[in-house]
Amino acid sequence: MRILAKEDGGIVSLKVIIPHPNESGTRKDESGNVVPAYYIREGSVLLNGLPLIELQLGPSVSRDPFLQFRFAGKKGDRLNLRFIDSRKQEYAAEAAVV
Amino acid sequence: MKRRTFLERSSVAAALVLLRPSSLMAAWNEKHFQQVSIDKAFLDVLGTKDLVKSGSITIAAPPVASDSSAVPVEIISGIRGDQLYLFVERNVTPLVLSCALHGGAIPFLALTVKMRESSLLYAVIREGGKYHMASVHVDVAVQAC
Repeated sequence: MRILAKEDGGIVSLKVIIPHPNESGTRKDESGNVVPAYYIREGSVLLNGLPLIELQLGPSVSRDPFLQFRFAGKKGDRLNLRFIDSRKQEYAAEAAVV
Repeated sequence: MKRRTFLERSSVAAALVLLRPSSLMAAWNEKHFQQVSIDKAFLDVLGTKDLVKSGSITIAAPPVASDSSAVPVEIISGIRGDQLYLFVERNVTPLVLSCALHGGAIPFLALTVKMRESSLLYAVIREGGKYHMASVHVDVAVQAC
C-alpha cells in the first residue's frame, strides 16, 4: 500500500494506492472464461487512534484502487489504514502526516 | 473524586477503547452491492429513490473516458454530511462505494472507477437523514469491466 498524507493550511490530503487485481467477477479473459470476483470490500482510516473514515466498496472500483480523502489535521498526526478484500485478506499500513 | 468512582469510570473508558477497533468496521453489506437497476440500488442502499438534486455537491469526471477501466471521479460537497455514496447507473453493480465520515473528515472523495458503458454517475450525501444528489454523464468508447 502506498500512502501520502500532506498537510496544507490545516487540511490534510490523504492519497492511497492499494496494489490489487480488484477483479469485478464479470470480466472475461482471452479464452473467454469469466475471471472470478476478487476485490477490496472494506476499509478504515484512524486518525490518532480515532475513527476518521469507514468504507464499503463494491466491484466497480478500478484495479489497484486509488483513493483520496481530505480531513482537518496537522503535521505529525498518525494514520492507521486497514483494508480487507473478498477473500478476507487484510492489508494494513501506518503513516504520519507531513 | 472518590477512588472507587474513579476506578469504575476509568475501567469503562478502557473497555470503550478496547471495543473500538473491532466495532469500527461494520460487516460488508452484501445487500448494498447487488446486481440490480439503479432505482433498486437507491432503494436497497438509501431506502428511497427520491433524491434532492443539490447545487452544493460537485461531481467531476471526464466527459469522455479514454480508459473505461479507470475513470477518475472527484466529489466535493458543500453539505457537511456524515455519509457519502457513489453510484454508476449502467454498471452491473451500481453502488461503487459508501464512505462514512467521522470527526474532521471533509466531504471530499476522489477515486478511479470501472465503467461498463456510457452512463450517469451519481454522488449522494446523507445529511440529517436527507439524501442530496449530484450527477455527471461520462461517455465510454470501449468497454471494460
